[in-house]
Amino acid sequence: MITLTNLSKIFRTELIETHALRDVNLQVNEGEFAALTGPSGSGKSTLLNILGTLENFDEGDYLLDGKSVKGLSDAALSRLRNEKIGFIFQSFNLIKDFSIFDNIELPLRYRGLKASDRKQRIEQALELVGLHARRDYLPGQLSGGQQQRVAIARAIAGEPRILLADEPTGNLDSLMARQVMELLEQINQRGCTILMVTHDPEQARRAGRHIQIVDGQLHDSTLYQPLAAVQGA
Amino acid sequence: MDNLLHAFALALRNIKRAPLPYLLTVLILSLGLGMFFSNATLYYWLNHDPLPQKSHSLFYPQINSVLQPCDSCTEPMRVLSYQDVQKLSSSGIPSAQAAMFQSAGYARLPGNSDVSPTPVRLRVTQRDFFTLFDVPFLHGERWADDTARRELILSKASAERFFGRSNVVGETLRLGNELFTISGVLQDWEMLPRLYDVANGLNSARSADIYLPWETAFDLGIKSNTTTMSRDERDYSDNFAVNGREGQFYQAQFWVQLDSPQQVTAYQQFMQQLVHSEKEAGRHPRPEANRLTNILDITEHFNARNRQLDAFALVSLLFLLVCLFNASHLSLNRYLASQYEFGLRRALGCSRSQLQQLILADVAVSAALALFLSLAVAAAAMSLIASLLPATRNLTSWNPLMVLTMAGTALIACYLVTLYPALRASFGSLNRQLK
Repeated sequence: MITLTNLSKIFRTELIETHALRDVNLQVNEGEFAALTGPSGSGKSTLLNILGTLENFDEGDYLLDGKSVKGLSDAALSRLRNEKIGFIFQSFNLIKDFSIFDNIELPLRYRGLKASDRKQRIEQALELVGLHARRDYLPGQLSGGQQQRVAIARAIAGEPRILLADEPTGNLDSLMARQVMELLEQINQRGCTILMVTHDPEQARRAGRHIQIVDGQLHDSTLYQPLAAVQGA
Repeated sequence: MDNLLHAFALALRNIKRAPLPYLLTVLILSLGLGMFFSNATLYYWLNHDPLPQKSHSLFYPQINSVLQPCDSCTEPMRVLSYQDVQKLSSSGIPSAQAAMFQSAGYARLPGNSDVSPTPVRLRVTQRDFFTLFDVPFLHGERWADDTARRELILSKASAERFFGRSNVVGETLRLGNELFTISGVLQDWEMLPRLYDVANGLNSARSADIYLPWETAFDLGIKSNTTTMSRDERDYSDNFAVNGREGQFYQAQFWVQLDSPQQVTAYQQFMQQLVHSEKEAGRHPRPEANRLTNILDITEHFNARNRQLDAFALVSLLFLLVCLFNASHLSLNRYLASQYEFGLRRALGCSRSQLQQLILADVAVSAALALFLSLAVAAAAMSLIASLLPATRNLTSWNPLMVLTMAGTALIACYLVTLYPALRASFGSLNRQLK
């Protein structure tokens, strides 16, 4: 589903060049739940942003469903993000003065769905994350865990095939983090591919696949191996 | 439609999010636009063509007819004498021609001798005046010919002021000590700018209250209350009926209607022949300086352009640019504060063109507010200008086309103010805003 070939990303300033990603090769199949781990500044978020087409890359290629995203127009990339990819951010990124319903509705509007279709999808998503009763609340009236569940509802309401989560539990306590992870696992079981950046070894272990990045290079990509085994290799 | 309403709802929500910066932006913009609109209004009225359907055919003839020799006097007088008018009227070429001057007097109803007479503005003229400038009649008609007659034509406002109604044809009115019959009442009519009177400078006061036949004015000794010049030793305060007609008393404006280039050429040749025959008769000692000026060139010809208003217009344009710059700066701050939201929208699948639609709705709401406020500012500014320059008092109205143009200008100004912030929002890096 996702194929990265010799992908590199360089951040340039007037004085220095920083290789955020070097010759990354990666294959992610449909339905996988992969955890991306690595030290701060290793390139995890950059990789996730490139996968989400929020950022360009300098070299190599990125095929999504067998088609290169290189050179796609803004409209095509926007459509691709809207229809195939859902985002979950560490700080939720909900619009503060929008109701829960309105927040979830945003990506559906950009897809041009009818109001009745939007409503149906939002209600299904809210049902899944258990916040149906709070559809008219503002984000500020919810706990952090609930806000992240709203963000998840927004991400899945458009029924994307890939969910990109950047430290989705980073701002949550352990109980709420566990609830969010359970929700992600539930979504993954429905067939949605998930790539999740995390610092938490426990969460990485719960993901079906563990990908580690160090200094912009993919050191290993293992299926169903514990983190300790990867680090020891 | 649904998305359009959503875009406008968001635009209104943007006001609630940061009301002070928003209102400050709109206020600065409105000040700039208001000042610009007020000056543009005056500029428009002073420079627009008041008779587009026939302005190309209206001309002001002049000849250098003063009898005192002067070799260096190469420009004719601005106004003509009775004799000049007689000579220039004799060609038979124009389809209409009329001499005229402005005067003033006092009028009252004949039976009301105990009531103080009312001051009135007079236009002394000939019957073709109403044809030349397409003056519409409400009741009655123009004079049957140009002979002296005790008949007046009233403006509608004057008829209503004196009689309380407009249809007063056949009624009598006392002008000075003389009794006149009213032969016509005009519809509400105003020619702006009043180009037929530019010989007297920027004359944009209201049109005349009463129109008086040319020959009658001479009989009664009524003279111009603006530009008059005498070039001989006659006593024009005495026996004006004779002296005014025979002497070198210059006060008249004279307009002719020449409908084709052939007529214009023929009239120019007529003027040339007239001057040559006058020279031969010893009545044209000064250098030949015939002028035939189109009505649209008359302001420049008499150097009657109001330079103060030109300067005001330039200053207001510069002020608008400064306001646009400041509003743009405020707008940029407002948009930068929302940059994260733009990034989020784009991450969720909003394309640049969809984002521009949202911004355009924001622009439209700002423009509507700015237009409303700027019209209020413009009205206040025009009232101030009118008090400083009373001659402009009549040039401060707006027609629907002007309001539409102002709305378009407000929209463009708001778009310009938002352009840079909008581009920043659309092309900014997505990932830096989102964590």
